Amino acid sequence: MTAVETTETAAPAGDIPPALPPAVTGGAHKRRRRGSAFDRALPYLLLAPALIAILWLIGWPVVSVFVTSFRQLNLGELVRGEVVWTGIDNYVTVLQDERFWEVSLRTIVFTVSVVVASVSVGLGIALLMRVLTPWVRIALQIAMLCAWAMPILASTTVYQWMFDQNYGILNKTLVQLGFDSFAGYSWFSSGTSTLSVVGLLIIWQAIPFLAFSLYAGLVGIPRDLYEAAGIDGATGWQTFRAVTWPEIRSLLMMVTFLSTLWDFKVFAQIWVFREGGPSGESTTLPVLQYLEGIAKSHFGVAAAISVLMMVILGLITFQYLRKLLQTEEGKL
Amino acid sequence: MKGWRGLAAGAAALAVAVSGCGTSTSSGGNTETKEITVWLMDGSAAPTLTDALNKEFESANGIKVKYEVQKWTGIQEKLTTALASSTPPDVIELGNTQTASFADQGTLADLTADSGQFNGGEWLGGLKDSLTLNGKQYGVPFYAANRTVIYRTDLLQAAGVTAPPTSRAEWIDAINKLKAANASNPDFQALYLPGQSWYFLLSLIWDEGGDIAKQDGGKWTGTLDTPQAKAGFEAYKAIYDASATKKVPADIDEAKPQQMEVFGTGNVGMMVGLPWELAGAVKAKPELTEKTSAFPIPSKKAGSSAPVFLGGSNLAIPTASKNAAAAKKYLSLLSSKKYQDLLAEGGAVPGTSKDTAKLATNAVGKALAASSPNGKVTPVTPKWAAVEAGQNPLKDALTAYLTGAKSLDQATKDASEAITKAMA
Repeated sequence: MTAVETTETAAPAGDIPPALPPAVTGGAHKRRRRGSAFDRALPYLLLAPALIAILWLIGWPVVSVFVTSFRQLNLGELVRGEVVWTGIDNYVTVLQDERFWEVSLRTIVFTVSVVVASVSVGLGIALLMRVLTPWVRIALQIAMLCAWAMPILASTTVYQWMFDQNYGILNKTLVQLGFDSFAGYSWFSSGTSTLSVVGLLIIWQAIPFLAFSLYAGLVGIPRDLYEAAGIDGATGWQTFRAVTWPEIRSLLMMVTFLSTLWDFKVFAQIWVFREGGPSGESTTLPVLQYLEGIAKSHFGVAAAISVLMMVILGLITFQYLRKLLQTEEGKL
Repeated sequence: MKGWRGLAAGAAALAVAVSGCGTSTSSGGNTETKEITVWLMDGSAAPTLTDALNKEFESANGIKVKYEVQKWTGIQEKLTTALASSTPPDVIELGNTQTASFADQGTLADLTADSGQFNGGEWLGGLKDSLTLNGKQYGVPFYAANRTVIYRTDLLQAAGVTAPPTSRAEWIDAINKLKAANASNPDFQALYLPGQSWYFLLSLIWDEGGDIAKQDGGKWTGTLDTPQAKAGFEAYKAIYDASATKKVPADIDEAKPQQMEVFGTGNVGMMVGLPWELAGAVKAKPELTEKTSAFPIPSKKAGSSAPVFLGGSNLAIPTASKNAAAAKKYLSLLSSKKYQDLLAEGGAVPGTSKDTAKLATNAVGKALAASSPNGKVTPVTPKWAAVEAGQNPLKDALTAYLTGAKSLDQATKDASEAITKAMA
């Protein structure tokens, strides 16, 4: 860090920073000037191995999926190592299937509802944590950490038992409260109802991260801004609009963006609950992709679905990506 | 070529990563085989058999056996990823309905020339057909089994049912008596029948004269919407409705939870199950040994038994196996009379031995032997696996019909169309 700063400040001025003793930095500085081409390349050379590794790990599978989507790749071709190009056949197959459109729409509605719900509850808890007394806040934080630390499949199993038709605590509680019609009620009798339960689970799993991130943003807002707002006689809502909102807006956008990515590709929870049932009514795009790719061994078609998923995700997050690129360019 | 293979492996790896599955890799790959990996299924062969077999093979050949037991649930997906890897297991067990599609994709080694060393003359016909594609054999029959009604002798006797029922009407009558006799236990299930027990549904459909699909000029069409098949669905509902006061949910199958575990709790009078499921229940609760027996699934016609799905397994060697020679030796040993007799003793119809004397020594084996001549299979075509893998239309139709989400006509029509589409 110091070295970079020295170069930056020294290069345009051509002078030694006054705060540093000349005897020490002077020599080093001269040497840096002499090997300047190498020195300028050095950070990039040092970064190169990590960069290549990351590009290989992230970029290569993306390229691979894209290339695979233009091939006929069933189990036989995969084992024999055959390459059969089919052009856009896989895309035609997928796009002509009305089920794909139905599932896409369902996935988008599901993602949007889960993201909106989880981000608003997360924000609510973050705001609440600011006004809680320290002990209550710590208790809340510990509870959330526990929820966060729970493995996905473990919590999914717990939810399955909670909503179980015959032995679930929810049905039993509802019957105790006098709602007798819930005895033996099946929460998984329709796709909407199944996805609501899955959505609830995903929201529950997402809240700790969202609440902690947003709370970190809130803590950074100076107290005197609130005091000033208080002196001006602002109501709670006005304070939120004028003081809190501008400060956490970009953070909120980022966590919303991340949540969208995560919730869009949720697979394990949906599959474990009812394998996309009943009658395929809770099948989302990742489940469809799994059915085509792993269950039916049509890897080419599954790859085409993956590419289309990326396109849909790109469209959903288009506004955010544009803003992100603009700010980055502005900074550069 | 090599690059593309890497690419394909990358795609598969990505698919695996996305689906959250893991594959177990096996060691090996040396020119000289030091170890072979054997995958057998949960409940196929008793540990007494496999222990003896592995020990004999290890000492005779000096090759270690890495023996792994796989679960049936999700096996299609697991085999797909395993067979696509460069180091697949050397011996695998496949369900008879899955074998054709894996063979069709060229993932299994052609064993036609070697059938002599696997006791080829005594292979079980139904299984031999399931592993034969275009006149070539892609495996060795392992064992066959079919479902019977497993029941608690003590509970039936207490309820006043003295002889096993011989018609469907008698059977429902026995279920009702059993239910009445145990009315004080709210968790009691006279018959443990989940809503998606589709192999049992096949029995009823066949008993009514219907079928799943018919072939016409190489094209398969679903036939679940025929009056006969609908009658099978109605029979299922009648039995399901009678089965218990607190019924098993309509949207689960016999594997989730394992019905043998439920049977082992003691709150269950009967279940439609395989011999190994009874063995599992008895293992967990040894006192049940003396209190359990079995009878063939009764037909609606008095005095005869309903057709049953002939379940079974084949053994195969993946094409990509680097230890095929050692794997063949292993299969050769397993198909010898000694181990086939052990299989029969364990309650299964042996695949490479016509001698079933050992089978009929207990009640379950007798029920099995009585109904197995009536055994039928799902359509023998590489396309069938696509129906069973993932979301099975038969299960969906059962759930929709039993919960009332769809009418019988609608549920069977949808299922028929789904089957036609999957087999196209």
